[in-house]
Amino acid sequence: MKEQHILAYVQAAAPTLGLELDAQRAAAVAQHFGRTLAMARLLEQAPLAPELELAEIYRAAPFPGAQESA
Amino acid sequence: MNTSEILQAIASGERSAREVCDQALAHIEAGDGAINAFTATTARRARAEADAVDARRARGEALPPLAGLPYAVKNLFDVAGLTTLAGSRINRELPAAHEDALLVQRLQAAGAVLVGALNMDEYAYGFTTENTHYGATRNPHDRTRIAGGSSGGSGAAVAARQVPLTLGSDTNGSIRVPASLCGAWGLKPTFGRLSRRGTYPFVHSLDHLGPIADSVQGLALAYDAMQGPDPLDPGCHALRVQAAMPDLQQGTGGLRIGVLGGYFREHASAPARAAVDLAARTLGARDEVLWPDAALARAAAFIVTASEGASLHLPDLRRRPQDFEPLSVERFISGLLQPADWYLRAQRFRRAYRDQVNALFQHWDLLLAPATPISAPAVGTEWIEINGVSHPCRPAMGLLTQPISFAGCPVVAAPLWPEATGGMPIGVQLIAAPWNEALCLRAARALEQAGTARMKQ
Repeated sequence: MKEQHILAYVQAAAPTLGLELDAQRAAAVAQHFGRTLAMARLLEQAPLAPELELAEIYRAAPFPGAQESA
Repeated sequence: MNTSEILQAIASGERSAREVCDQALAHIEAGDGAINAFTATTARRARAEADAVDARRARGEALPPLAGLPYAVKNLFDVAGLTTLAGSRINRELPAAHEDALLVQRLQAAGAVLVGALNMDEYAYGFTTENTHYGATRNPHDRTRIAGGSSGGSGAAVAARQVPLTLGSDTNGSIRVPASLCGAWGLKPTFGRLSRRGTYPFVHSLDHLGPIADSVQGLALAYDAMQGPDPLDPGCHALRVQAAMPDLQQGTGGLRIGVLGGYFREHASAPARAAVDLAARTLGARDEVLWPDAALARAAAFIVTASEGASLHLPDLRRRPQDFEPLSVERFISGLLQPADWYLRAQRFRRAYRDQVNALFQHWDLLLAPATPISAPAVGTEWIEINGVSHPCRPAMGLLTQPISFAGCPVVAAPLWPEATGGMPIGVQLIAAPWNEALCLRAARALEQAGTARMKQ
């Protein structure tokens, strides 16, 4: 992904979150985003089986103990 | 006086807790202008807590394990009567905390005396404590250099002997990095070991709390005093206390100890590698071990941190970005813009990664690695070079800590003083499987007793 594409993404996406960025700030954000993008690309190479779930999974409530009824 | 000497002197009546407290406060008052570790002192409270210890002794009561020991906390811990700054300017507008963080309550119950709150990177997003709002915390061993972060005040206050014990937080290395760069002992417990209730969060999925101390005994005493379940913290998974003090002197005989190679050598300077080699020789570790997917884990930790950390501050990033730390505001905004796929992939990777790391510990009891790639750089450094490769200085300080905390393993950072650092320290991580803090502390004690790792006199 080229630098101008990263900058364009930052400039387009920021308003959707209600963030106003001037040109200087957008460029600085794009620089950080580009560094993280490189890490995301690395992570994309890691094979993840479909059944591999998130590290933390929501639990509706603790499972009832032996003396409790559900 | 160190932790052991202070506790003995108070227990024997040689010194009162009030005397020790007043001496610590005077030391902070006289010297902190040059270090900038403290953002507040709590003299009235400290004297009241010290007097309570002295009154108990006068009544002939048994004293608790930390009776009279002065300590201070990173300013993201709630302290009743103080506003919890979390290193920020924005939080100054919040009301004062109405009660102490749970770990502060537990230290108070153990007799420790709170003398103040400590500087940090804004909202803990940094490894250098170059805080624009409150000033940079300076390294006590060379004030032109950083103290590390984000618990920089916590590391510097111990290294400057202002207090023998501090508390910090560690999301990606924020206890281990300042301990390494300041030459103090640090403990990042297992993820989920200590309650985080009453502290200002950075990244819920990764935040840990722990002590920095002047000795292994100080680490272990504080750690034991802070343990216990907390059903009100959804991130506290400990179900009972597993005290470390009883096993502290057991040594390392029979333990399978390895040295992390690969990523952990490639991202370490020659002095950092030398520090690990020295610790390995002392502990009799010869085998090199490969940690699984360290680079991927760092990438995943980076992404999770940016997304969760930034999400907490979206309203303020919209309304008043000018009030944020200039060194991190754009990283926060960048984190908000990350695609959900990156975050979800990182969290799914974490599950597989945990299983790989836990499998590694079927074969090893303890693993060694540098805590930081280099010794403390000068304040304001933008780029560093590690083995011929340039890295942005501030995030690079966490290169060697992030993969370990992403797995949630307990780590002691032990202070070593290798050559070719201009007299500056570099920490060595003593890493164990989850819930095995006691092994880290036993090995740390062995390094301390051998004189391999130590605080500077």
